[in-house]
Amino acid sequence: MAVGKKEISCPPSAEGTGLSDADISQKNVTYFEDHPNLAYSWTAGQAMSRFLNELKNGKLIATKCEKCRRVIFPPRIYCELCYKPIDDWVYIKDTGVVQTFSISFIDPDAKPLEKPVIVAVITIDGASPNMGIMHIIDEVEPEKVYIGMRVKAVWRPESERKGTITDIKYWKPLEG
Amino acid sequence: MIDKIVDPEKLRHFPPGGGKIELYWLYTSGKAGNEFFRKLREGKFIAARCKKCGRRYFPPRIFCEFDFSETEFFEISGEGCVEAFTIAKLDLNENPMEEIIALIKLEGTDGRILHLIGEAKDVCIGMKVKPVLKKVDEMTGTISDIKYFKPV
Repeated sequence: MAVGKKEISCPPSAEGTGLSDADISQKNVTYFEDHPNLAYSWTAGQAMSRFLNELKNGKLIATKCEKCRRVIFPPRIYCELCYKPIDDWVYIKDTGVVQTFSISFIDPDAKPLEKPVIVAVITIDGASPNMGIMHIIDEVEPEKVYIGMRVKAVWRPESERKGTITDIKYWKPLEG
Repeated sequence: MIDKIVDPEKLRHFPPGGGKIELYWLYTSGKAGNEFFRKLREGKFIAARCKKCGRRYFPPRIFCEFDFSETEFFEISGEGCVEAFTIAKLDLNENPMEEIIALIKLEGTDGRILHLIGEAKDVCIGMKVKPVLKKVDEMTGTISDIKYFKPV
């Protein structure tokens, strides 16, 4: 709670009145408090919902536009180049190529990690180039990862799958 | 046309079960505000007078904002007159209701307060009003300790 005197220099005449937590809890001072109810829910939409539901079956699904002949992955319901609804759903393989990657030594709270995490953008085999998903690469030394490395998905056992992107545990190198 | 998901149960959303943004804030009324609400419990109204220029502040201030001089608190009646008003016909959720919101200039001060007008059939600019306070045990130290202003 941001209550109390701050380390700001000011002329003595303008010095503020410090407050302690006890002043608030014992209601020595009048105050107004609020805890607004900011609820939210983000819908995944038609294409991403189907994609997530298919993850439960251990399959990756993409969409296809017959006009530009692209296989769009992650799937979209609309082709942004042809400006028209997509034409079909296609299943694609669970292997791919590392398009770019980064090695992270800290977690989201900036705490050091014991084992670095390799985050990569992976282009899936069967999908059009320059499209991919972001995921984690494991079972490889961080020094040995390179752009263009072929990887394969490691799935969770079917009983543990929930229809989320973490149904794929991580991606491991295909060769070696 | 491709097949689409029609079962809303199969449409996904995040986070599962809905999310909530945590936000919490606490706003203290300050030295002068504290004194004002303390006196309000006794049914008294106070304003602040600048020791140098004599401007009378309502709501009370601890400093004059024109010459940075200190102020002194003095008691006022709490009565005032309507300077401007508007009648709200809908509440925040657009349900019908009727509330009169008025800018009230307090007698004996140079300050104004924005508050509700109650027990009034007709409102007009210049109408004299006086405050109706909540019971002491219902008071929380906020501006709603004054229920509304009613015509004198």
